[in-house]
Amino acid sequence: MRADDASLSALMSKAQAGDREAYRAVLEHSRDWLVRFYRGRIDPAGADDLVQETLMSIHAKRATYDPSRPFLPWLAAIARYRWVDRLRRTYRRSETELDETLAEGDHEADVVARISIDRMLARLSEGQGEAIRLVKIEGLSIAEASRRTGQSVSLVKVNIHRGLRKLAEHVESE
Amino acid sequence: MSKANSVMNVSSADRIDDLVVSLAPVRRVRKRTGLLVVAAATLLAIALSAPVFGLRPDLAAMNPAEIVLLRSGALLLTGIAAALAVTASASPGVGSRREGWRWALGAMLLFPAASGLLILGGAPYPLEILAASSVPYCIGISLSSALAIGGLLTAWLRRGAVTELRRAGWLTGLAAGALGTFVYNLGCPSNSVHYVALWYGISVGSAALAGRLMVPPLLRW
Repeated sequence: MRADDASLSALMSKAQAGDREAYRAVLEHSRDWLVRFYRGRIDPAGADDLVQETLMSIHAKRATYDPSRPFLPWLAAIARYRWVDRLRRTYRRSETELDETLAEGDHEADVVARISIDRMLARLSEGQGEAIRLVKIEGLSIAEASRRTGQSVSLVKVNIHRGLRKLAEHVESE
Repeated sequence: MSKANSVMNVSSADRIDDLVVSLAPVRRVRKRTGLLVVAAATLLAIALSAPVFGLRPDLAAMNPAEIVLLRSGALLLTGIAAALAVTASASPGVGSRREGWRWALGAMLLFPAASGLLILGGAPYPLEILAASSVPYCIGISLSSALAIGGLLTAWLRRGAVTELRRAGWLTGLAAGALGTFVYNLGCPSNSVHYVALWYGISVGSAALAGRLMVPPLLRW
């Protein structure tokens, strides 16, 4: 992992100088990493969009990467920011109904990739975490989440609102 | 980026092709540039306010009162520590948060703590500070300087990739408020710790609150 990070850091430094081959390598590696990072943490239908949005953010914000620092923490911060933003936007669009539930059969690598986002989720209260997992990640409706958790409909909404706010405050926390 | 504006119906491979084609060299966002912006804005505020409102005579004579040294140091430390933290946030990274500003803010809070302890100890509260003629200047110079410093800092931060917007808003306001109040402090005629606790506290606190309310929408990306 360290060797990967070191080579990615060097490639990104070249990309900042305009090296397109290096940049392609960075983006392709980042895409694969993001697919693992987001798997199980976003509704499957939105996962590819989120990966692409994050790639666009990497592009727009590439000047903010400092080659003297590791690459993956920078990528993870951008990925977390886009993830929280995505959850907030779908919330504002008012409970998009999703039929899919979580894809099963995650690989061991996915578990590793989940740690970063799970650490953020661990900062939430039990009620907030449960509401966000069910509605924002598994795609249940507010009413379904209310029945599943025993929380009232308004409490589910409050827990989502407060939970998202807390997530946004801890994008860079370990 | 025009092709990259929508994520609909484009494969990630096509997206990467688009981004690679549109790659251009970039100048890195460096923290020290942000700090230079803050320093330049603070010096500009001093340069503009000092000729109009004047410096304290003891400062002009290079022999400042103890309270001036203490409050200047606390304000500078708070402003610099907050500016360091927020400029670092322009280049994000999980686990790279800087929290040294909390200690500097703690040093600044010694003034209201001292004021409160003196009152609790039975010392008479100098009621004249509530309606001192310098108060409008204190608030006016502090907040207008803070607005200039905070505005320039925010403009610089927009080049970055701030991921914790509320924190950045607080820190931008705190840095601007502390440094803006530092600008006023150079001409402030009061030597009262109660004055510092009340009016400096209001200036710094309101600037931090304004930063919290105004800055995050400007940094969203």
